[in-house]
Order: sequence, then structure tokens, then C-alpha cells
Amino acid sequence: MSRFKVNFIFSVLFVVFGVALGFLGNGDTFRRKVTVELNPGLKPPSSLPPGVALVHARALGLNDTLHFVLCNLGAPALLLVHTNSTESAVQVTWPEFINRSSPGSLRVAPESSVTYSSALVFTRIWEYDDVNNTADPQETAESSFYSPYELQNFIWSDLNTTANQSDHVITLCGRENTESFANGSLCLRLSVFESAGRDRAWPSLLHNSNSSQLHVWLDGLTPRGNLSRFALEFQSVGDSGFQGRVDVRSSIDDEYTPSIFKVFDWVSLPLNSSSVWGFSQWKPVAYRKPEPVFEDATPCRHSPLVPVSRIPQSAAVRAYFTHEPQVRGLNISFGVDKDPVHYSDTRHISWTVLMGMGDPPADSFSTLIIIIMAVGLGTPLAIIIVGGVFVCVRKRMTRASVYEPIN
Amino acid sequence: MAVREEHRSILDEDEEEDEDEGSRHLSPLCDPRHLLHRILVLVFMCFLGFGSYFCYDNPAALQTQVIQDMSLNTASFMQLYAWYSWPNMFLCFLGGFLLDRVFGIRLGTVIFSLFVLIGQIIFAAGALANHFWLMNVGRFVFGIGGESLAVAQNTYAVNWFKGKELNLVFGLQLSMARLGSTVNMNVIGWVYGRIQSLTGSAGHSTLGITLMIAASTCLFSLTCALILGFLDRRAEKILKKEQGRTGEVIKLTDVKDFPFSLWLIFIICVAYYVAIFPFIGLGQVFFIEKFSFTTVQARAINSIVYIISAPASPLLGFLVDRTGRNVLWVLLAVVTTLLSHMMLAFTFWNPWIAMCLLGLSYSLLACALWPMVAFVVPEHQLGTAYGFMQSIQNLGLAVMSMAAGSLLDNKGYLFLEVFFIACLCMALLAVVLLYLYDYHTEGELNLSASTRAERLKAE
Repeated sequence: MSRFKVNFIFSVLFVVFGVALGFLGNGDTFRRKVTVELNPGLKPPSSLPPGVALVHARALGLNDTLHFVLCNLGAPALLLVHTNSTESAVQVTWPEFINRSSPGSLRVAPESSVTYSSALVFTRIWEYDDVNNTADPQETAESSFYSPYELQNFIWSDLNTTANQSDHVITLCGRENTESFANGSLCLRLSVFESAGRDRAWPSLLHNSNSSQLHVWLDGLTPRGNLSRFALEFQSVGDSGFQGRVDVRSSIDDEYTPSIFKVFDWVSLPLNSSSVWGFSQWKPVAYRKPEPVFEDATPCRHSPLVPVSRIPQSAAVRAYFTHEPQVRGLNISFGVDKDPVHYSDTRHISWTVLMGMGDPPADSFSTLIIIIMAVGLGTPLAIIIVGGVFVCVRKRMTRASVYEPIN
Repeated sequence: MAVREEHRSILDEDEEEDEDEGSRHLSPLCDPRHLLHRILVLVFMCFLGFGSYFCYDNPAALQTQVIQDMSLNTASFMQLYAWYSWPNMFLCFLGGFLLDRVFGIRLGTVIFSLFVLIGQIIFAAGALANHFWLMNVGRFVFGIGGESLAVAQNTYAVNWFKGKELNLVFGLQLSMARLGSTVNMNVIGWVYGRIQSLTGSAGHSTLGITLMIAASTCLFSLTCALILGFLDRRAEKILKKEQGRTGEVIKLTDVKDFPFSLWLIFIICVAYYVAIFPFIGLGQVFFIEKFSFTTVQARAINSIVYIISAPASPLLGFLVDRTGRNVLWVLLAVVTTLLSHMMLAFTFWNPWIAMCLLGLSYSLLACALWPMVAFVVPEHQLGTAYGFMQSIQNLGLAVMSMAAGSLLDNKGYLFLEVFFIACLCMALLAVVLLYLYDYHTEGELNLSASTRAERLKAE
């Protein structure tokens, strides 16, 4: 009987903690106030080429500010700067910035308040002829590669900015002036968030107010071969004194991205410490349709992280990082071994990456699952307890009634 | 495949055999009374069901290929299983009737084998012609033949092997069924690969050719049915005995007399099997995605439930027969299956452990649950009770297969596993209630074997 009691108490505690954790697990209630400005301080006669802009999203916290700068002068780059003051602002010396992107023409003032800065730059789109159907550009011969599309040479159409209550979304699309891009474009959508949440669209990455999400898609491009597959190259620029590595986390929960059980975090941490200062997070999945269903998912893999000797051709990065920045790059390639579907079948491929500061967010169970498990396991358990008590009492009563008083 | 073959058909085992004293002297192999001839008949009887078990799980073993070649989503894929179950909702009642009154056992077996063969051919033709609706029609026709063929197999067994040999024969037939499923799981993928390298590409025609090759096992089963029919007719002429009958009498009005325990047993049956068969149907891709298995490994682990069930069923059946206490064994089986699903859902532990547990508990439940029906229902209602149990089991499987497919498409594998766990919790609830009800009414379900034997003697 006492063992029953102990078991019962433990199961109740487990269920209660589980429910509590479920509610509290997602409780990153830290909020920021986001304001978006376009080309701060740009005055004639300085002018940017058409479609090129510098978007500054300022996420103000209680005693710090997070600046996200998206600029497509040169290769499109997303610059993240964290300052420990609430008064910091982005300042651009436009003439130098536009003409030569000289170091220092983009800065966050006051410079003494800057604690961490990092940038993500999309540099190239690689296309290769996958004759062996391995979807592995590392294993494909150099001769199968077509010449890459350099994003710094792209021509961009006008920027689109939308904002609703909690999210600010900036979309930009560009193309190269070649036949392949006659009907096609590469688009980037930056979402800056005020609070924690999750996108409805797959891969439904969990974000918090310290992160922003970049959704990249390649649509309508004419592939140069029937068996063409694509890979996207992007580079991360950061201050010296930081190391980078790609961590993989396996999770049992694939509720939000069905059949994907892994998350990759490209983390940046100081050389002599193990705490993560910044991250880029993605799930190894890309989608072949704008409104994907389960079968439109295709796995993607990343190449090993390599150091890059030259700073990428992106104005924002060249202008901001003045002291010997460290550049690392990797390729995300789309498709899996023996995948019968190629880019030419749907002419659309999209991928999402989350970029932010601090520890990368981690998924937890939704409350629905916790409720189902609690009710599902709890009800039979309760009946077993009640029934067990009932059976024991019954046994005791029948035993008691065996004794007849000897009068 | 639904567990038609797993319940002992409680038939009258004391039929008298007519001894024909004027029979010619035949060689042992040709003499219907001699053991050697009956072993020959046993071989054909066992292979009778091989084709239908082989082809039943073709979709599960070729899940990725079917989905890719026919451009399906998982919900549509699971329709292949749902369409197999739909006709069996009604055939469970009609099967015995058709075999006894309308066709007779021999002709009936041949007809049902033909349905199995034609169904599989239509299924393959649907793949060749790239029409998914035709594949569903094929599975429907296949389903008409499949389950009724199991009834016929049981009837042949009872007719030829009475008394103590019957349990062994049932056990062998069950093992052959499992062997068919296992061979399918591990071989058909390889066949597909060979066809693909021959034709040079994957696609619906490769799938169609592979399924046609699978249909050859159904042709083999049809041949066995024809030979069995011939041997049975010959034996009837030599021994001058009647055609076998299923002995099942179905009267739908009996349903209102079913006791409460029986309804609880029905709930356990439905809730348990919907957590097994749709899981195996969708299991291959689960193991590939979550545990990073290769396709070959995923197929092997998916078939482990059947591989274990083949030797375990007779052993566990013997155990349950010796000890009695069926309800406790059912409880143990449900709890073990629940644990195994929880391991698969919430941990990354080696899934071989969970799947072996699943195989053992699946066999245990079959041995302990189906005989319970005979303890709560009088003999003249047994046919109706089993027919009803099969029928709602097939209804449950049909509906839940499609639900499982669409759950997976929208919410992923964890949610699907939690759904299966919820079904098992319902089964667990029913078992606990059954135990308490049986205890309260002092019923027979949970008696030990010795007590049961005493009670039988006292009657």
C-alpha cells in the first residue's frame, strides 16, 4: 500500500511539473520595441542605385538596443549590432558609403556602447550538374559546376516594407541581367520580432526578440541543365577574437517541421569562453513550393565551415568592420542523395535562417501534447489507484467476515 | 494484416471420421488418413495464405517509392490500407456464410484466392498506368479475398487436423503468415532496386513491374488452393466424409445480448490494433528520418514485429494456456506496448529494443485477448461475436489509417506517436475497467488455469 502511495505521488508530481514546464518552457516574455527606418540620413545629392537601400531596424529593450541593418549595396548583408545603451543610433556617411564603402562610413554611435557585432552575407548561388544524383557538391567534380551567380552583381527591384502589430517584414528581390533570370528572382525577406513566437509557415522556427529571421527563396530561375541542383553560399563576418562552429542538436519534437528532427546552430563564441554570443540557426530542410505541403520538403546539407581570406563584396560589411574582421563561409546545398526531384521540376526553392544574439532558441513541447499525455496517462493511473483501493478494501472486508464470533 | 487467423476457431472437435473399410490400399503419401499425406496437405495449407500476407504489406515496404512515384501525400498513401479494411467490415459476417452455404469450402477457397490474385494485379496495373484510383480499387478487391481466405484456411485446418494437432497447425499457419510478411518487408525493396537498375529509372512503371512480380506469390497461393481443393475432394471420395464447414453461425440479433465485458474486449481490440498496424505501415520513413537508419535497416526493423511474432506466438500461447489469468496478461501486453511507443516517441534510444518489445507484447495480446471472447459468450453466439470483433477492428483500422496519414502530413511524427499512445491509454483504461468489472461480478476472465479446469470438472 505504501509503495502504491509513493508511486502515485511521484506520478502526480511528474505530471504537474510537466504541465508547468510546458507552460513555462516557451515563456520568453522579453519584449523589444522595433522601429524601422530606411536610409537614415540620406540627403540629395547622394543617391543610391534603384532598388538598393539600407534598412535599419532598431529593437529597443529595457537597457540595451539591438540594431539590424539590411543592405543590398553589393552582396546582400544583414548586420547585427548589440549596444548596451538605449540611445544608440546608426550613422552613415553616405558619399563615402556609396562610392567606396570605405571602412568607418557605417557606424553605430556611441561606439563605446557596442558589445557585439556580426554580419551574415549572402555571396553566391552555385549551380552544378548532378550527374551522379548524389546532391553533394563536395563530391561533385569541378567541371560539373556552372559559373556561380554573384549576388554582388544583382539588380534589385524596389524594397517592400510591411508592418503589423508585432512583426516588421522587409522584402527585397533581385536578379542578374542574364537569360536565366528572365522570369526568375532571388528574394530575401527579413522579419524583425518584438517578442517570442513562431512563424506559421514551415519551418516554423522559434524566435525570440533577440533574433531576426531571413527567408530566402529562388523562384522562376531557368536552370542551365536538367539535372541542376543549387547551393547557396553565405559568409559570416565578425570581430576577431571569436571562433565559430556549427552545432547540431537532435530533438524528439518534429511537431512544427514534420519529419525534421535536427537543428543546426552556427554559433559564435569568444576564443577563451564557452558561452555563445551570437548564432545563426536553421533546420536542414528547404521547400519546393511557396505554400509547401509535406511532400514539398527537401533535405538540405551544409558544407564544413571554412575561413575566408577576403572580406565579402558587401558595402555594409566593408564599411562597418574596420579592424581585421574574421570571415567564415559555408554552403547550403539543396537536395538529397538519389532525389528524383530537381529544381527544374518546381522552379522554386526556399530556405529560412534565424540570426540573433545570445543562446539559440530551443523548441519545447506544445501544450496540446502535454495535455494529451497527462490526460491519457493520468486517467488509467487514477482508475488503477481507485480500483486498487477498492479491491484491497473488498479483500479486507471478505477476510473480516470469515471470522464468526464464537458466542 | 488483421488477426483473423489468431483466434482459435472454437469448433466442434469431436466430429466422427468415417472409416471406409473397403478403401484401396494406397501409398502413404496418397492415403488421406496417413500422416505423410496430411503433412503434404499441411504444406499446401500453409502456403495458401502466403501470397496474401506477402502482398498486404507491399505499400509499407515500398512507402517512399509509392509516395514518390505516384506523387502522393501520406494521407493518400494510407488509403491503400483503408481500402483493404473497408470490405472486411462486412465480409467478417458474410465470410463464414459464403463458405458454408453458397460456395462450399473448396470452391470458396479458390474464389477468394482468385480475388487476391486479381486484386494484386489490378493494384499493379494501377501503378503501371499511373492511376492511383485504380490502385485503391485493386486493394479493395484484394481485401475481399484476403480475410475470407484466412477463414477458409482455418476451416481446412480443422477439417484435416483434429484434436491435439490443431493447436500446432494453427501455430504453424500463423508463423507462415508472419513469414510472408517478413519476407515481403525485406525482399520487395531489393526487387524494386533491381528493376530500377534494369529499366534505368524510378517511376510508376518500375513500381508497377515490382508489384506484378509480387503478384506471382498470389498466383502461387492460387495454385495451392487448386491443389488443396483437388486433394480435399479426393479425400472426400476415398474417406466418404463431408466437406468441412466453418461452423460459424452469424445472427446479428445476438448483438443486443452481448455482455458488458465483451464490449470492453471490443474496445481493447480496436484501440490496441490501431496503434500497431498503421504504425508499421508508416514506420519505415520514421526510422529513416528520426534515427537516421538506412532504407535496408529501416525495413528490417519494421519487420521485426512479425519476425518475433512467428516463434513467440506459440510459446506465449502455451504460457497463457498454462497459467490462465488472461486479463493480467492483456494488461501486461498493453502496458509494454505503451512503454515501447513512449520509448520510440520521447527518446533516441536504440529502436531495436522498443520494436522487440512491441513484437513480444503484440504476440502476447493476441494469445490472451481472443480466447477471452469464448469465456464471456455462449458457444452459439461465438460466430457473431468474433465476426463483430473483426468487423469493428477493420472499421477502426480503415478510419485510423487515414487519420494517421493526415496527422503525419500536418503535425509530424511526434504527434502521431502521441496519438498512438493516446489510443493505447484508452485500451489500458478498458483493460483496467475489465479487470475491476470481472472482479466485481466474479467472472471467469481472470481465473488461473487450474481454477478454470476445476470449474469445468464441476459442471
